[in-house]
Amino acid sequence: MAFQMLLNIFLAFTYMFMKTNFTLGSFVVGYFWGFVFLFIFRKLFNTRFYFHPVYATFKLMLLFLKALVQSTFGVVMLIVKPKLDIKPGIFALPIELRKDWEILLLSSLISLTPGTLTVQVSEDNSVLYIHAINIDDVKEEIDGIKNSFEKAILEVSR
Amino acid sequence: MKTNNVILETATRILLFIILVFAIDIFFAGHYYPGGGFIGGLIFAGALVLLLITYDIKTVAKFLPFNYLVVIAVGLLFAVGTGIGGLLFGKAFLTHWFTYVDFPILGKLSLHTAVLFDIGVVLVVIGTAMAIIQTIGESD
Repeated sequence: MAFQMLLNIFLAFTYMFMKTNFTLGSFVVGYFWGFVFLFIFRKLFNTRFYFHPVYATFKLMLLFLKALVQSTFGVVMLIVKPKLDIKPGIFALPIELRKDWEILLLSSLISLTPGTLTVQVSEDNSVLYIHAINIDDVKEEIDGIKNSFEKAILEVSR
Repeated sequence: MKTNNVILETATRILLFIILVFAIDIFFAGHYYPGGGFIGGLIFAGALVLLLITYDIKTVAKFLPFNYLVVIAVGLLFAVGTGIGGLLFGKAFLTHWFTYVDFPILGKLSLHTAVLFDIGVVLVVIGTAMAIIQTIGESD
């Protein structure tokens, strides 16, 4: 993936040297044509087309923003409610992510979205212990994180 | 005996794209500098020939699944179409126009209808070259 991106940048510079026109414009044009040809001949490479993880990263960022807004409103509603009828608890989340940065990213995303907080990662990196402010249904909570964040991170790193 | 083409295949993955970008550069240089549709199309076809040497006819057909005779026809339509465009505005056949347009990043570009004619030339050249090579290559 990094190879394709470097090749695309290299092609953009090659185009600039062919044109002897060292401006941002000719870099953009060279990058565009390199991108088009890399896309057409993407099957020549063993890895997938490099733009796919970039696109997946943008999707993950949008997903995080959406979850942030949604759950912040949820917590605000809990605070302004006159009666404190919450049910806090800690549950275990089995994860499929194995790389260190993936676990860091997932636990950060869980902590940054209000309502949940990563407490501990198990020794063998296979289970996250998460504190939730209000658990009605543990299974639902696990499925929610698994289907949104974990899936999106897997999409980036696969 | 099956030989291992790893050196050729790896080099092709880089060289192919350099050749293609060079073809694009030559194609768009055509109005002010040496180059244009004919040589651009030939270089493009040359890149595809490199791909044919490295892999085989089926691989190239997978990337560009065109019937090259249709490509020739589309190219000719482009060329005739720009000619008829002149007639539609009450001018002679093959009258061309151009205008200068300021783009945000790219700067001042002159847009010329001759480029459409050149695209037709490119398609005909690529189509002819590839049709010849594929016809010879497929007949055992």
